[in-house]
Amino acid sequence: MIEISAAVHQDKIIELLNNCNEDGIQFSYKEKKGINLYFETNAEDLEKAAKLVKTAIKNQPWGSVLYFRSAPAK
Amino acid sequence: MQGLIAFLERYFLPLAAKIGGQKHLVALRDAFIGTIPATMAGSVAVMLNALLRDLPPQFFDGYDGNSIPVIKQIIAINGYVWSGTLAVAGLIFVFSWGYNIAKAYGVDPLSGGIVSTAASLAGITFSFSGGISGLNLDAATVDAINAAGWSATSEGITAAGWGWLPLNNLDANLFFTGMIIGFVATMIFVKLMLRNITIKLPDSVPPAISKAFASIIPATAALYVVAIFYFVFSKIVPDMTFLQWLQKTVAQPLLGLSQGFGAVVLVALFVQLFWFFGIHGPNVLAPILEGVFGVAQLENVNLFQQGGADLVISKGYMWVRGSFDAYAWYGGSGGTIVLIVALLLFSKRKDYRTVANLSVGPGIFNINEPIMFGLPIVLNPMMFIPFLLAPVVSVSIGYWATMWGLVNPVSQQVTWVTPPFLLSFLATGADWRAPLVTLVAMLASFAIWIPFVMAANKMDPDLGHEDKIATDIGHDTKSI
Repeated sequence: MIEISAAVHQDKIIELLNNCNEDGIQFSYKEKKGINLYFETNAEDLEKAAKLVKTAIKNQPWGSVLYFRSAPAK
Repeated sequence: MQGLIAFLERYFLPLAAKIGGQKHLVALRDAFIGTIPATMAGSVAVMLNALLRDLPPQFFDGYDGNSIPVIKQIIAINGYVWSGTLAVAGLIFVFSWGYNIAKAYGVDPLSGGIVSTAASLAGITFSFSGGISGLNLDAATVDAINAAGWSATSEGITAAGWGWLPLNNLDANLFFTGMIIGFVATMIFVKLMLRNITIKLPDSVPPAISKAFASIIPATAALYVVAIFYFVFSKIVPDMTFLQWLQKTVAQPLLGLSQGFGAVVLVALFVQLFWFFGIHGPNVLAPILEGVFGVAQLENVNLFQQGGADLVISKGYMWVRGSFDAYAWYGGSGGTIVLIVALLLFSKRKDYRTVANLSVGPGIFNINEPIMFGLPIVLNPMMFIPFLLAPVVSVSIGYWATMWGLVNPVSQQVTWVTPPFLLSFLATGADWRAPLVTLVAMLASFAIWIPFVMAANKMDPDLGHEDKIATDIGHDTKSI
């Protein structure tokens, strides 16, 4: 499970990751708690998946100015 | 809160994204970041000299680092590092600037960097002149000096020469000229490249040669356009180079404006506002933070190398990019290390104390994501006022302490992960008063945070964290 903390553009993040398929790694939106979004993933290496998420969001035209955190959920 | 979030997402974020994602502004930001290996190495050299040469005389009478074996050699070595980095920081920047513009357009970045550098250098004076008067020279000396190519009379000497690049045209003074000339030249280069106005070689030619040849026509055109501009400018303003003129009419007034209390507070306030709403403040404000305050900082670093803190005080800038880190952003933006301490001392909430405990380690190194998102501070109405107010008060303390001469201005580039007190000590060229100013700013912040930490004690912890925030910002978790 990956946890993404983002205050804004949560809907866009969900849409982005639900359609993401990078190196065979996929994400599926599970739930939202406040500013935290939780995604199931098929990735075995959660750190790598979290970095992938960070890069994917940063690469979006709307993502470059977002202040967010992506990390394996505890 | 729901309405505010919707408003931000609809109206403000697209604008912030446009600024933060604007190709040229991103290239500018990356150009500044690209110079960090050089500027940081140069800063280490200047800082070592500050510690070995400039700090000890404050405590030991008669100390002269330049006369002590080993110390003397280290100071000399540091001088070499400075010469290749901060002394020519502008030159390094213009290459990085052209490189990043070309990269943003998918054109050969190496050529872009070269075009930007060549265009910026083309406008720099290659000559110098100077004189000494009030002398009493004998005829033989006058003849010898005149024979050497200089001009002398019995009363004075006028020296002039060609083939010199003045360092004050290659350091931070080159930034503004480089931003304009480097941009224009690289854009001409880029546009011609994209229109394929290039020399095409057969596929059998190695890529490195092919790329260089492809760049010839666009680079030549770009450099000629800039050269014609310089020529016309020299006819209109014969007494100054473009760099000198731009420094006088644009750069210095702009940098002067940045030194006003209002400008400093406004920047601090906006950075906090951006952070609070989950937007990367320094990214959005990079053109101001790096393009104005960062340039002022490099100017200070060079002044320090040339004449120590006294020269920075007399000729430098009082408030620069690193001043924010030294006096307001300890523990990360918002001065959150103080909040962590306040939570550990006064919070009765288990969730807050847990987050604070986890945030201590990263916080010492000015990394505050754990507390920003863990508490959270982002979008937490309870934290809005202190998160905005504490850094503004801290900035004010640092600003006025510097303006009133209670502490030296920031004159060193220190990496932002340096722990708070050490950061301000090093950033001011080892001024022992700087950590004290940081401490005063921290205490003021502490006083601002305490009431809000104690008020949070009265909130039901079960309602005070995620569920409460979810309600506040109106996200229905089941609707997606």
